[in-house]
Amino acid sequence: MRFKIPIFDVKNLSFVVRGQNILSSISLEIFNGEYIAIIGPNGGGKTTLIRLLLGLEKQTFGDIKIYGKNIKNFKEWKKIGYVPQRASLVDASFPATVLDIVNMGRISQRKFFSSMSIQDKEAVQDAMLKMDILELQDKMVGTLSGGQRQRVMIARALASKPEVLILDEPNTGVDIVSQKNFYALLSKLNKEENITIIFITHDVGVIADDIGRLFTINQKAIVCNNPKEALSCEEMSVLYGIEAHLLHNHKHEH
Amino acid sequence: MLEIFEYDFMQRAFFAGMIIALLASVSGTFVVLRRYSMISETLAHSALVGVAVGLVAGFNPLWMAVGVALLSAWLIEYLRSYFSLYSDAILAILLSGSLATAVIIVSLGGAFNNSLFSYLFGSILSVSNEDIITILVFGSIAMVLLLTFSKELYFIAYDEEVAQTSGIRVKLLNFLLVSVVAIIIALSIRVVGSLLIGALMVIPTIAALQYRVGFLKTVLLSIAFALLSVACGMILSFYFSLPSGATIVLCVISIFIVSLVINKK
Repeated sequence: MRFKIPIFDVKNLSFVVRGQNILSSISLEIFNGEYIAIIGPNGGGKTTLIRLLLGLEKQTFGDIKIYGKNIKNFKEWKKIGYVPQRASLVDASFPATVLDIVNMGRISQRKFFSSMSIQDKEAVQDAMLKMDILELQDKMVGTLSGGQRQRVMIARALASKPEVLILDEPNTGVDIVSQKNFYALLSKLNKEENITIIFITHDVGVIADDIGRLFTINQKAIVCNNPKEALSCEEMSVLYGIEAHLLHNHKHEH
Repeated sequence: MLEIFEYDFMQRAFFAGMIIALLASVSGTFVVLRRYSMISETLAHSALVGVAVGLVAGFNPLWMAVGVALLSAWLIEYLRSYFSLYSDAILAILLSGSLATAVIIVSLGGAFNNSLFSYLFGSILSVSNEDIITILVFGSIAMVLLLTFSKELYFIAYDEEVAQTSGIRVKLLNFLLVSVVAIIIALSIRVVGSLLIGALMVIPTIAALQYRVGFLKTVLLSIAFALLSVACGMILSFYFSLPSGATIVLCVISIFIVSLVINKK
């Protein structure tokens, strides 16, 4: 049997703020190439879980390992691309062209005093090509539509050549047609580029065919292997709330 | 050659003014985009405490201003992270507290005279060769630091959390930015004055933002506006015997109004 290290290995994770449990004893694993959607009620802790995985918050209890390393010692953040909730709601007056924004994806990888290398420029062009925004590169980002901005933000994340893409409700402020294109794009990135996708959404019905697993987060986590059972899973979460089940995904050998 | 440049003091003032315009506008771009405008005002008042100590104790006021502004910048960054909900109130307390401290020190030391007035509002007559050397030394350090980390600072200004998740050391760079701003503000008070330097730092960038162009062009426009305001301000100050800082600030505000009007849709 082949042993496989999860990208994220979360054990007994709890997050408490001023005596209030936001997340309680969450344990889950996320493996390379997975496509995971996270759903749950507002205030249930979805965004907090993502923030903990990204090191933006510090857990009260429990362990988070990324690529087998304790999160405190993890340094290879370029492997993880992040598109936050407000990504498409850019401050219109911020002085940035599309190219300025996508270039940001390469900043943490450059050495001091060095300008963009050929590899950096190629990665930026490649990310813009994938997101179909090459022709927008000289436009000010504040003048774009919500859907276009969303693609720019994902291109920025892709420019660092990530192995994982984490998106927090990326469709905020985006029209329905753009949303559908967006889901097709995520699916393509997952299948063709083998990028692990983790994202928070409310549109489970639309993507049930694409996603591999579904996490329902409401203080605790319920992990569903069959997203088509999403509704029953969600109902379980609401009805039984704090009962947590971690169902192993048989696609993975571990 | 213009009559204005026949005087040594004007040559010094112009040289110092151009360097300060460059420093203030480049750092000001990050200050504005980072929403740190109030920090620059607070640091300008803190620098005055250093000037007061320098005037009373007989040390170089500019060196003392750099030292006190740096200490104040670090205190602000610490207090802002500790009392994050009340960070604007922290700035208000430090701003008025610094000004009060400076006035008390100067009053007790019997130095409440024209020399303090020149540090409050700027004076082109008072720029010495020693000041030029101080401005060149510290200004070069500040500019090298800003240029070295400009891309990281830009990313942080755009989205601090995304910058952090991509591996950029956000806390360290925030600390560096306020330190550089503190140095530049302290250096600028000779020419522009501590009550007015905040304007030279912020307004050229606000004017440049009206043109809705990318980052590099915004920085270049901001530099051009700052240089133009300092040059016009000094010339007007020379011919009409006006305080240089106030004249420079009115020039930069005029540029801002023109930029606002011609870009109005």
